[in-house]
Amino acid sequence: MSRFKQPSDHVNMTPMIDVVFQMIIFFVCTVQLEKEAISEFIMLPDSPHGPMIAEAKDPRTITIEVDDRGRIFIARTRLSEAKLRKVLSKTVADYGRYGPSIPIRIRADGGAQHASVKRVLDACTSAGLHKISFVATKDRA
Amino acid sequence: MTPMIDVVFQLLIYFLVTFTTPDVLAHLDISRPAPDASQTEQRTPPKMIRVNIYEDGFSLNGRAVSKAELERILNRLAGFSTSQTVLITCAGGSGHSMLVDVLDICAGAGLNKLSVVSAE
Repeated sequence: MSRFKQPSDHVNMTPMIDVVFQMIIFFVCTVQLEKEAISEFIMLPDSPHGPMIAEAKDPRTITIEVDDRGRIFIARTRLSEAKLRKVLSKTVADYGRYGPSIPIRIRADGGAQHASVKRVLDACTSAGLHKISFVATKDRA
Repeated sequence: MTPMIDVVFQLLIYFLVTFTTPDVLAHLDISRPAPDASQTEQRTPPKMIRVNIYEDGFSLNGRAVSKAELERILNRLAGFSTSQTVLITCAGGSGHSMLVDVLDICAGAGLNKLSVVSAE
């Protein structure tokens, strides 16, 4: 009797565990890749009253970072002021009619001087971009 | 089964230890005058609130104020009308955190017409 039940009382779990582990590794890797785009060395200033950033952002949004020494980065790549102007005006030209409404987010370090933030603001306005906002920390975890 | 459960528990502990909650971020929207509009200073209507940011402090409509005073006065002014324009002028050497402080006070008071100008 027990010989007939043999195949069903021991289910082989190994292929399922393999697949689940593959999925875990896939999700861990993709989460890491998404984080890569912003620098972790920028200490954002606090703004407890500011409106919270919406989860669904405009896909055109350009995030420009300014560190405490006034250096400018986009996606962790350092840019000179001239290069930033070139990149912004080319992006605006590529989007044509929808170019000037591209939202700009400036992640500037709290210790940065206004003069270095001003260089980014001037580059944005000379490219015709006017939807500018600063990023700050609302609630520190 | 035991080795697998051991491994899974190790993974679970690893993820629990490395997990950090992300900071909640705020966005502070501003408007910026066009580069050629340098005449804003002359034609400022009296309804406008002018906040200046220097290297070492703030001034409101030409009078030096502390951060607490600025917050109190802006909250009172916002009580009359939140559609007033706030013209924020920053000195080049002032810290970015001071500008964010002012923008935060304005956001808290409900003032949303913010214009940021840079002084040389």
